[in-house]
Amino acid sequence: MKKILLACSSGMSTSLLVTKMEEYAASIGDEVKIWAVGQDQAKKEFANADVVLIGPQMSFLKGEFQKEAEQYGIKVEVIDMMAYGMADGKKAYEQALSLM
Amino acid sequence: MFERLSKYLVPIAGKLNNNRFLSVLRDAFMLAFPLTIFGSIFVVLTNLPFLEKIMSAGALANFKDMFGIASSATMGIMSVFVVFGIGYYLSKSYEVEAIFGGAISLVSFLLLTPFIVTLEGGEVVSGVIPLDRLGAKGMFLGMITAFLATEIYRRIVQKNITIKMPPGVPSAVAKSFAALIPAIITLTVFLMINVLVTQLFNTNLHDIIYNAIQAPLVGLGSGIVPTLVAVFFIQIFWFFGLHGQIIINSVMDPIWNTLMIENYEAYQAGAALPHIISKPFMEIYTVGMGGTGMTLVVVFAMLAFMKSRQLKQVGKLAVGPGLFNVNEPVIFGLPIVMNPIVIVPWIIAPMVVTLVSYFAMSIGLVPPPTGVAIPWTVPFFINGIMATNSLAGGILQLVNMVIVGLIWFPFLKTLDKTNLMKEKEAEKAA
Repeated sequence: MKKILLACSSGMSTSLLVTKMEEYAASIGDEVKIWAVGQDQAKKEFANADVVLIGPQMSFLKGEFQKEAEQYGIKVEVIDMMAYGMADGKKAYEQALSLM
Repeated sequence: MFERLSKYLVPIAGKLNNNRFLSVLRDAFMLAFPLTIFGSIFVVLTNLPFLEKIMSAGALANFKDMFGIASSATMGIMSVFVVFGIGYYLSKSYEVEAIFGGAISLVSFLLLTPFIVTLEGGEVVSGVIPLDRLGAKGMFLGMITAFLATEIYRRIVQKNITIKMPPGVPSAVAKSFAALIPAIITLTVFLMINVLVTQLFNTNLHDIIYNAIQAPLVGLGSGIVPTLVAVFFIQIFWFFGLHGQIIINSVMDPIWNTLMIENYEAYQAGAALPHIISKPFMEIYTVGMGGTGMTLVVVFAMLAFMKSRQLKQVGKLAVGPGLFNVNEPVIFGLPIVMNPIVIVPWIIAPMVVTLVSYFAMSIGLVPPPTGVAIPWTVPFFINGIMATNSLAGGILQLVNMVIVGLIWFPFLKTLDKTNLMKEKEAEKAA
């Protein structure tokens, strides 16, 4: 099971992408848990995640998140802008896989 | 050039977002948010325009009285939640017992509050807490007190000046004893400050802070020029793909929220609304028409008039979220971010529309927002009517959207042409 955490300002806009990523993962038969949270919640969820993706509008969180994520040995990356904007579940999912 | 500018902006955005005091303020206002929404629902319900026609004046007054407490107990004493929230979240950020930080902040604030009301005839009633001091009027004193009180409290705790209970004592008991000395010291400081101010200067800190800090700052923030500057920076940050509101609002929210509560207090008292600019103005008239930049009309234009596949696809994707004022698909999909073709309408349109709204409200064509808090995800037109309690408030949004559409159209058309050419070339190549 692959566990992907998405973080943005309130978890609202990234939740659009969650559905699309889940759909794509299901279509290739991957078992996943993908969920979106706001920035204040995000760090608490690191322990449960295999990888953390940040909405591009919160890219300035990367440094701070990375420090925290190192404790869990997971990677933090900003979601590709176009993938985010077009809610491209495939592209975002592949980006997540490449970081695991 | 954009990339280089972006390199400067990202660290600024990060600093503002991660600043301990600003993020505590943001969280504290978020604590008040569900409560103010609850109060707002009943303000909207008891002020529905058609009630005057179906109820007698007496029945309507009675009806308003019955439900008035819903907003008095929430928006009317908003400073209480903000003060507690600051104490709580600031303590939490220092990893000291947060609930005591909240309680100590609240008591410190109350220690500075005169428990008397002077009636119009000059008669002084004692043994009461004046509600307005817990509402808009006490907001800045409350914020300052909460930050200071918590800073004193956490320093004492961190210096380990606490009473320690032997192991085996229940943790709740141990914790309340641990908070004892820090609480007594912190509260004594504020008590002494109040004694000094009331006895030596014969006034109170509420009036001092209100007159020296709050009134000038809030007065400044209610002006159109600072508002346009804020809108400009929000748009600029988003142009670089950064969440503009998170960054700008953390500085402006104390002012915009105070303006909102002042409007609400006037509205409930049946007086003229003192301010045009307020938190709801910013949310409803700069964001509430499809998200930042008021892009819903741009999405409609993409669906109706644009020919390139790229724009049509973004349009289809963006229209659903756009109705609820979420527009990341437009910002990152169109894209708006670092796109030199759209920087002009992206920045000009919201500033023009803000000016138009302000003008329409200042000449009395449209009433200003009443001070009720509307969740930012309520669709346009509906949120405009709710915020102003007037159909005119919704119509103003429609006018605004036409203006945004007109400003955008030539630029969108240019983008469409460029996209069409690229798409044709790609087809030829394939």
